[in-house]
Amino acid sequence: MRITAEAKSATRLRILQAATSLFVSDGWQNTTTRGIAVAAGIATGTLFNYFPTKEAIAAALVAEAMERAGEEFRAGRREEVSLEADLFSLIWSGLRHLREFRKFLAPASDTIFSPLARQSPDSPGDAIRVDHLELVEAIVTSHGFSAPRPAVTVQLYWTLYLGVFAYWAADDSPGQEDTLALLDQSLKLFVASLGIDQGRGTYGRQSQ
Amino acid sequence: MDVNLSELMAALPDDDLSSTANAAWAQEQLREILADLAQRPAPAGSLHRLWTLSELSAQIALAYLALWIRRWFSDAEASKRRLMETNLRVALKTFHRLGYLRGAMTKLGQAAGNLPGILPGQVADTLDRLHFEAPPMHYALIREVVRNEFGKESEELFLSFEKEAFAAASVGQVHRARLKSGERVAVKIQYPGIARTIDADFRNLSALVLPLRLGKDWESVKAQFEEVRRMLNQEVDYLQEAESQRLARELFRPEDGIVVPRAYPEYSGKRVLTTDYVQGLHLQDYLATNPTQASRNAFGTKIYISWMRMYYAFMPYVDPHPGNYLFLSDGSLGLIDFGCVQHYGPEERELVRMADKMAYEDPSIIPEVVQRACGVSANDPELEGYVRMMEESLDWMMEPVRQPGAFDFGDEAHFQRGVDWFSRVVRKRHLRAHPMYVYWNRSVFGFKALLYRLRAQVDVHAVVRQERPGW
Repeated sequence: MRITAEAKSATRLRILQAATSLFVSDGWQNTTTRGIAVAAGIATGTLFNYFPTKEAIAAALVAEAMERAGEEFRAGRREEVSLEADLFSLIWSGLRHLREFRKFLAPASDTIFSPLARQSPDSPGDAIRVDHLELVEAIVTSHGFSAPRPAVTVQLYWTLYLGVFAYWAADDSPGQEDTLALLDQSLKLFVASLGIDQGRGTYGRQSQ
Repeated sequence: MDVNLSELMAALPDDDLSSTANAAWAQEQLREILADLAQRPAPAGSLHRLWTLSELSAQIALAYLALWIRRWFSDAEASKRRLMETNLRVALKTFHRLGYLRGAMTKLGQAAGNLPGILPGQVADTLDRLHFEAPPMHYALIREVVRNEFGKESEELFLSFEKEAFAAASVGQVHRARLKSGERVAVKIQYPGIARTIDADFRNLSALVLPLRLGKDWESVKAQFEEVRRMLNQEVDYLQEAESQRLARELFRPEDGIVVPRAYPEYSGKRVLTTDYVQGLHLQDYLATNPTQASRNAFGTKIYISWMRMYYAFMPYVDPHPGNYLFLSDGSLGLIDFGCVQHYGPEERELVRMADKMAYEDPSIIPEVVQRACGVSANDPELEGYVRMMEESLDWMMEPVRQPGAFDFGDEAHFQRGVDWFSRVVRKRHLRAHPMYVYWNRSVFGFKALLYRLRAQVDVHAVVRQERPGW
């Protein structure tokens, strides 16, 4: 029997919804792929046709939220803002879309985004990383900082981003105001690092 | 070492500490910290915040710091020294680390060395420059702070909202906006998380320093330290500020020519404060217009009246910083920042009444006032010294009142006498006082510095006659 794309998409959505609800209610550690399959009303084997691991499910949730955030960012983007403000809007919009997953993202991000894990195309977080960095690259370039960027600059950005992400996931301050401050300060650091490039004359700001 | 710092160290109270290695260590630590702070410019425009305490309050803080170090070595039992040494070392390092203290501490390192030869101009200038140079927040961040506070975008909440700030404020910045009902307003936004940072840092500092229990003045010093912490917390709570502003606004009538903008509690929260927008010049811009002496005098009189009225309403305006006053084109004076207003309870009110009686009716009660205000008992050998200190303070405070007609606050000699008095207090270590006086001192020096810069002549006698309540 052939399964239509529509049915596939519906099943995928059911899995994501069931997983979200279990991750939130039972916690990341206590949720299994078997439990998710039961909650989604499918066989465990069927679930594996869609996602090989629960990390992949969480990564899909994150990727979709970040995609929505990216669309929101593009729609609301204003010409006159600074690079710092632009990146701030993008990242905070992403975190806002991820807010409902915050409870389980702290433990999940350990495996999805671990900077210690070797980046490989198979790792669940890698696609998110690549997509996000592409968007960031486009934003930075649109502010007059010429590409290509040194690998170390990109790594600095990603390290700061992961730091902010991990902090946010466990931030108990009202409205996650501490993360707001951390993000602001992290972006100041990152933008300053672009300025350092400029000072060295290697990857400077394009002449106006 | 910076020459000012060596003078500072020399100006601080002497104890025979040089005999112990620990004392040498502590002094060296203090020297290093001060030298480092003095050489490092306050990083305006970065993330570091300037502390809100004035130079003079900071001098008290430094004197305490020195006292802590010295008293510790003279009083502590040997068995406790190791633990205390660790605490002290960490406390000093903590003190050093606090970014928003750095502005005040840097100025302190530069100016305190000039004690007691400090010039009125330097004091006035320092009080002025010590105020905030808040680092900018871009609009993307502003929007999130507003959303955190109200659950709405600034565009939804206000009819219009200017994305660029027009002024710096206490740990934040101010934007012009318009309410949907049409009023032009000023919206003060606080940098996220800074309030909790200040509180946490002060708690950590307290936890390190308070158990040391140094010296006989310790209880009084501790209470003053707590008052500073309490006031800093109040200053970053914009809801409290809105309430202080509401109360202050009720004190003034249109004929006073003193404008307190209305606060809008429904558009305010702990980190956002919305008030009417008042257009006027700050002191420096006002002075640049070469105002007439009559205009300076009129504004000076309004400054004096506003200060006295709030004091007698038991809610003194303890941050009379030039940035908090606006000189309006119609001759009115605008008061625009109420974060630093004390609210006196029954105990403080009783002290105000006693001090008032002492100043205007019965100087013979000075010893009684000293005992109450400074917590010095009748048989304390230091009572006499404290009484003399109070007499000198009273003499300086009442100088403008005693003079018939207008008093010239531009008179350097008057200001200098106040600074000299304060220097003597610090040097003689007459530091015991009710906690309310930490800010009262700041208030008096701040508003006299303001009148000094304004070169205002004020008929204080007439102001007192008008403002003093008939208790």
